Amino acid sequence: MMEHSQYRAAIMADPHNADAELRAHREACAECRAFTEKLLKFESRLERALRVDIPPKADVLPFARKRGSAATAPRRWMALAASVLLGAAIVGGVWLSLPQPSLAAAVVAHMAGEPEAWQRTEAVAQPELADVLKDSKLRLKPDAGVVSYASSCAFRGHRVPHLVVQTAKGPVTVMVLVHEAARQVTPFDSEGYRGTIVPVPGHGSIAVLMRDSGISAAEIQRIAARVDESIVWTG
Amino acid sequence: MQRRARFQALCQSLRPDLLRFAFWLSRDRALAEDVVQESLLRAWKAQDSLLDEGAAKPWLLTIIRREYARTFERKRFATVDVDELIAKEEPMLAAAEEQDISDVRAAIMKLPDEYREPLVLQVLMGYSTAEIASELDLSTAAVLTRLFRARRQLRAACGEDTSQDPQE
Repeated sequence: MMEHSQYRAAIMADPHNADAELRAHREACAECRAFTEKLLKFESRLERALRVDIPPKADVLPFARKRGSAATAPRRWMALAASVLLGAAIVGGVWLSLPQPSLAAAVVAHMAGEPEAWQRTEAVAQPELADVLKDSKLRLKPDAGVVSYASSCAFRGHRVPHLVVQTAKGPVTVMVLVHEAARQVTPFDSEGYRGTIVPVPGHGSIAVLMRDSGISAAEIQRIAARVDESIVWTG
Repeated sequence: MQRRARFQALCQSLRPDLLRFAFWLSRDRALAEDVVQESLLRAWKAQDSLLDEGAAKPWLLTIIRREYARTFERKRFATVDVDELIAKEEPMLAAAEEQDISDVRAAIMKLPDEYREPLVLQVLMGYSTAEIASELDLSTAAVLTRLFRARRQLRAACGEDTSQDPQE
């Protein structure tokens, strides 16, 4: 039997350590379970603290400016949380309408087939979520939000994770499209859905969409950036 | 041009993580921007060495670490005064919506480099212990010790109850 101090030292080094021996100790020891819960609460604070805001920037690194100019350039680190994914079209408030790339159309069409996905609010079990994500070789960071729906769906010839994440702005659907390379951020607004396709270099793209509730284009992009940041690619 | 556009898209998508990593390395936003900019220029010149685009992030983080070390060597900074750094970055530290986040940020700023860096790689970049060990050229045991100490110091600095924490 592992000692309490051994368990706590290990879990303090890696609070998300999934080692079977650690799990067994935690299940058998109420004190260490409580200790872990407190530690995970702090871990959430830690992760949020490390994610400092990065200003939106129209320029594209690394060609936007020459070395040395950074020291004098105005910096806006304190700007509201925003994403580099805000493209010029979005900043200008211009939404593209379908039909645009057929990928966006296919995503919207897929929504009609699973209306129940929006209804659920309780978190799906971790093993179920892990099972849905494993083929796409990714996991979600702990602060990704409550995932209330997770399904491995057939989409354009592949099985893809279809998730619904509960956010402060309402439920957000995320489709992880590792087989769908996108060249650029593609916002769309169609059939009662607002969303965006975001390229993920080396991992295809992700589609993020909400049922239209008056949410702004910029807000969708911020949510998409947050989703993108919540993904940890494992392969 | 297509090659350049592809590289730009890669940089765009990874920019937030790269800047955050550089910021927590240097604890100086201006320096972080310079380091990232210089690193991306180096990466552009060396992009043929990136065989798998999926591995771009760790590849770029390694370049940033080296560039930061070079910058540090070039400028031969005087001993860092953490309180000065905190004062300088006060707007950012205070930008958090919640007070508890500001407290943690200030505590992270005060962590020694050898604890802060593996912690950022683990928590923010999603690195495993083995990946951190490889990146920092440490044993996995050394990484685990540093991560343990980092959290112990942070928790204490943030007023968490550490009475149940194990002793080394």
